[in-house]
Amino acid sequence: MAIETRMLTVEITRFDPDRDEVPKTQEYQIPAQDDWKVLDAINYIKDEVDSSISYRWSCRMAVCGSCGMMLNGEPKLTCKTALSDYDSKLKIEPLANFPIVRDLVVDMDGFMEKFRKVKPWIVRAKERAEDMENLNEKGTFSQSPAQLASFKQFSMCINCLLCYAACPVVANEPEFIGPAAVALGHRYNLDTRDEGEAQRNAIFRGEGTVFSCSFANECSEVCPKNVDPAAALNQAKLAAVVDWAKGLILPRGGA
Amino acid sequence: MAGAAHPEAMAPPKKGPTRTAPPRMPGSWWGAPRIRTYLLFGATGLVYILAGTVVLRLVWALGKGPEAWNVALTSLSHPLYLIFHALTFVSLIFVGVRAFGTMMPKMQPRNGPFPPLPAAAVRGLIYSVWALLTLFLSLVLAGKIF
Repeated sequence: MAIETRMLTVEITRFDPDRDEVPKTQEYQIPAQDDWKVLDAINYIKDEVDSSISYRWSCRMAVCGSCGMMLNGEPKLTCKTALSDYDSKLKIEPLANFPIVRDLVVDMDGFMEKFRKVKPWIVRAKERAEDMENLNEKGTFSQSPAQLASFKQFSMCINCLLCYAACPVVANEPEFIGPAAVALGHRYNLDTRDEGEAQRNAIFRGEGTVFSCSFANECSEVCPKNVDPAAALNQAKLAAVVDWAKGLILPRGGA
Repeated sequence: MAGAAHPEAMAPPKKGPTRTAPPRMPGSWWGAPRIRTYLLFGATGLVYILAGTVVLRLVWALGKGPEAWNVALTSLSHPLYLIFHALTFVSLIFVGVRAFGTMMPKMQPRNGPFPPLPAAAVRGLIYSVWALLTLFLSLVLAGKIF
């Protein structure tokens, strides 16, 4: 079967920090194939039309989370979005709510700082004798399928930052920790091997509190991996309140 | 893209050597149907503020005596008030459905002794309690009980 080719106008944001005061746009006419993904169209422009375009991509299979961009105003992974979804014109912009480094490349350091704050790793108070008894023959902690299921969804996050680009709170409250970081922090709070819940809940209640989330639910709508960060945020709110109340009522905060 | 986002949105903790362009809001922000629903959700706050002033007026009338109270009650049947009552009712239903129907199923703790219920079951439970409470209050206001 022959593959259909059609002319498509692609408008791309251009920004050169050495030359431009503000980002501008540039239009390209390309012979688009219907079996292409949007990333294929950008690669075609880079390879055949204008080699000066800067953008991030890597795996081409919605795993690395590098190629998130705004496609006609909606944050999407370009490697996962079919070009046939766009009829005549496609506008490609860098992810919203992030400083723009160059063309379609955004500065992710702000996210990395928020990400680090929520301790996205297993926190152990200390290795104890009973831990050793829990070790199975392979030297890992046993975890039931139900225990795994409680957090597995949140561990599917690929840090593509589409949720940050979609969130109206991120756009207006720079302190807000944001959807992906909370989802990952909450993922470890739900992990039976972890003992850092109180530390993370203190962060969730602190600067950039999870209570800034006003449940626009946009993060979950745009998430390409169905992580549902809005669920994590709202579960984290409840857990942070319960943790705070336990600290008030129980001796030594229930620890 | 549409308007500018907060200039410090997702800014790095330390400025790097490369000059960056300030962050922008997504272009679809105001026009997207999902965002319109969200904005409507927030806008119902204005309705509740107005409803609060009506309640304050009634409390004030109650303090002034039976005559003022009766005047206040009679004024509530004015067509403008009736429109406002209808608006408040619709706002309450909209917020209730959005908050309880969408948010509550997501909020269920995952690490408790019981597995989370299916979203449909949570919605069913919440709407049942809501219907029972509405029935109970309607019966109280109609003078059928108490």
